[in-house]
Amino acid sequence: MRDYIIRRLLTLIPILIGVSIAIFVVMQLIPGDVVSGILGIEETPELRAMWEAKLGLDKPLIQQYFSWIGRAVTGDFGESFRTGAPVFPEIMNRFAISAELAILACIIAWIIALPLGILSSLKRNSFIDRIVRVVALLGVSVPNFASATLLILFFSKAFHYYTPVKYVGLFENFGTNMEIMILPAFILGSVMAGSVMRMTRSSMLEVLRQDYIKAVRAKGSPERVTIFRHAFRNSSIPIVTLIGMQIGALMGGTVVIEQIFSIPGLGQFTLTGISQRDFPVVQGCVLFIAFLYVMVNLLVDILYTFIDPRISYS
Amino acid sequence: MKKLFAVLLAMMMLLALTPLSLAEENVLRYGVDADAAGGFDPHTISAVASMRMIGQMYNTLVDVDENLNVIPELAVSWEQPDDTTYIFHLAKGVKFHSGRTMTAQDVKYSFERILDPATGALGNSSSYAGDIDTVEALDDETVKITLKNINAPFLANLSSSYCSIVDRDVVEKNGGSLLLADGGTGPYTLGEWVPDNSITVKAFPDYFDEAGKATFDAIEFYVLTDASARLAALRTGAVDLIVADTAMLDLVENDDSIQTISYQSRNYTGLFLNVNRAPFDNPLVRQAINLALNREEIIDFAFNGKALVSGFVPASLGHWAVDVTENEYYTQNLEKARQLMAEAGYANGFETEIIVGLLDSIRDTGLVVEQQLGEIGIKVNVQDVERGQYLDAWNGHNFDIMVCQNGAGSDPSRAVAFFFKTGSSANIQDYSNARVDELCELAVATTDTAKREEYYKEAINIILNDCIVAIVASPQEYFLASTALQGFAPSASNANNFSGVTLTR
Repeated sequence: MRDYIIRRLLTLIPILIGVSIAIFVVMQLIPGDVVSGILGIEETPELRAMWEAKLGLDKPLIQQYFSWIGRAVTGDFGESFRTGAPVFPEIMNRFAISAELAILACIIAWIIALPLGILSSLKRNSFIDRIVRVVALLGVSVPNFASATLLILFFSKAFHYYTPVKYVGLFENFGTNMEIMILPAFILGSVMAGSVMRMTRSSMLEVLRQDYIKAVRAKGSPERVTIFRHAFRNSSIPIVTLIGMQIGALMGGTVVIEQIFSIPGLGQFTLTGISQRDFPVVQGCVLFIAFLYVMVNLLVDILYTFIDPRISYS
Repeated sequence: MKKLFAVLLAMMMLLALTPLSLAEENVLRYGVDADAAGGFDPHTISAVASMRMIGQMYNTLVDVDENLNVIPELAVSWEQPDDTTYIFHLAKGVKFHSGRTMTAQDVKYSFERILDPATGALGNSSSYAGDIDTVEALDDETVKITLKNINAPFLANLSSSYCSIVDRDVVEKNGGSLLLADGGTGPYTLGEWVPDNSITVKAFPDYFDEAGKATFDAIEFYVLTDASARLAALRTGAVDLIVADTAMLDLVENDDSIQTISYQSRNYTGLFLNVNRAPFDNPLVRQAINLALNREEIIDFAFNGKALVSGFVPASLGHWAVDVTENEYYTQNLEKARQLMAEAGYANGFETEIIVGLLDSIRDTGLVVEQQLGEIGIKVNVQDVERGQYLDAWNGHNFDIMVCQNGAGSDPSRAVAFFFKTGSSANIQDYSNARVDELCELAVATTDTAKREEYYKEAINIILNDCIVAIVASPQEYFLASTALQGFAPSASNANNFSGVTLTR
């Protein structure tokens, strides 16, 4: 197991190098650059030359890349081209916010999805099952920007309520922070819930058909034990895989929801970086998100061994 | 499921009932459409979104009022011994936010910082402070500025935030950058910036000018990029004032708790034609395009009717403006347009591409133009591009037709010379006319306003008749505010003027 984890961690190195090269190339290829953003309509050849020199953009591309990666391996992701502020601490700030949102969304999704998914698999083709399936389909297919806007309008019209506009950290004021986060988390969670519910239902159905469940039932085991210990546990591998993927995506920030609710998360930081062509910001954010994906996937793989002891890595 | 929904709804209602931490303190909460881009260095930041804060934090030597008259700011008076020399008498007791008293040395330093190429300052061009030769501090309260050549609009141009007076100590303490620092003298000081969420500026108690003193303990700018979220925030009292777009106006028409505030901008939107490319090198084609446009229809669709038909020197430029409604090319005449197309050898029309982007009004203009030019056989492909691509097309002059929104500034040296003089950086259509160039030079080299007006009007008419551009409209800018907000009177000269503004909650 230990060797396996070390091996997996070692694969991070080529992945991150590959991602960093890809981002560098893409940032060069897309039209527009950071200098035209800074200068706007005032751009002149002299000012452009000045700013390119100031930001080190006048150096050969290879040199730009290596000077960046040289610093990055020491944990120094450089400074934003626009504000001059160091990138890494800002990524950490933003990540804490996105992670909180992601975790809340997951909790909400599980609370909704797991019981309903199990219920609908047990009462297959019943009225409840149909309702659950329709709700799940809605959750998956209504885009979150639409539900976000609708909910904002609903609360403002019906209750004259708007979530607090000033962002407050979790440890500054727990209550206000929760008030800010609960609505966006609910929206993200409901989207997640849709697919988790569907996955839970179908994989439960599959397991419930197996012979060993018949055997369990035949030996007179209570239904509760049959369902949770024998059926749900065995059907949870694909569910955990799905949840892992979703957490990975959420951790990287959810741009649209963050933007609508003015939450200063990692997604907005990345997006601003991209639209301003702020290379150190984009590079830092994307590498960090890639790192998160790999870590979440690793965690999921390790989780498998706990769910199903037959799985082992050696 | 019903139960679950009921529980969730109950949870939400509980949240709704929790007492809002309603600001008892005297704070203006302002919902804006974009976050400050890059920070707050008045010399290097061009983003409009940052100007909102920079305008509160910094002062310039002089200001320009609504009627384009130069009025005192940090300089209480000035004299001009000759055409290239200006002597400014500074206000007494002006304090920087650091507490230090501002002197003539700081003015000298500020202009040196702008003129130092290493700063990369936006004001280092003849549109602003670039023509300065020397700056001398005659004594603590007197500054003498000598220009390399006569620059008639120089005084008015000093009102730009690019010519703000900054605190040398703060600049040096922050490694030469004011992006994240505050080296100003303005009525508000920089507070906290939570990127992508909010920016706070706080009242500066030692502001030098009683009349311009901060009336709020703080102004909090909230970044609410989503328009419907912004409106909902205003409706629920989460903010007191928002930047509005014309689509919102109908929605609040019957809402007694919301007031609409607007001003006529100095911006204009229109088509820029690349005169280096066929068929736009043919004046007949350019005239036909101008004649094919129904500008009222574009205004109705792209600006919800809230704009004036305008040329490139809009009505808000007062006596400089040229009334285009009298120009023959500004009235739709499809018959004549088709005839001109035939004369130019394009009786069957041609196919071309229009680049749009950045703003909804630009995109919508492109769509109406597509249909209108279709009437004279021009098949238009509208290319809606992302910001970076748009700026690339602008800077590289790489387009057939581009829809742009430009600012005409406060003087025709901007509105005419900057956009139409040969080789000027903003002359994206690569227009070159010897007489226009000559007139622009003459106009900048004399301080006689009547003469300048004569020169510019001639230049403007040449450009209009050459149909180099097909300008459509000068939009109104809108704000929506709670009726508790009193005294907010934005203008094209100062859209973020909060002096004397109060809230009666």
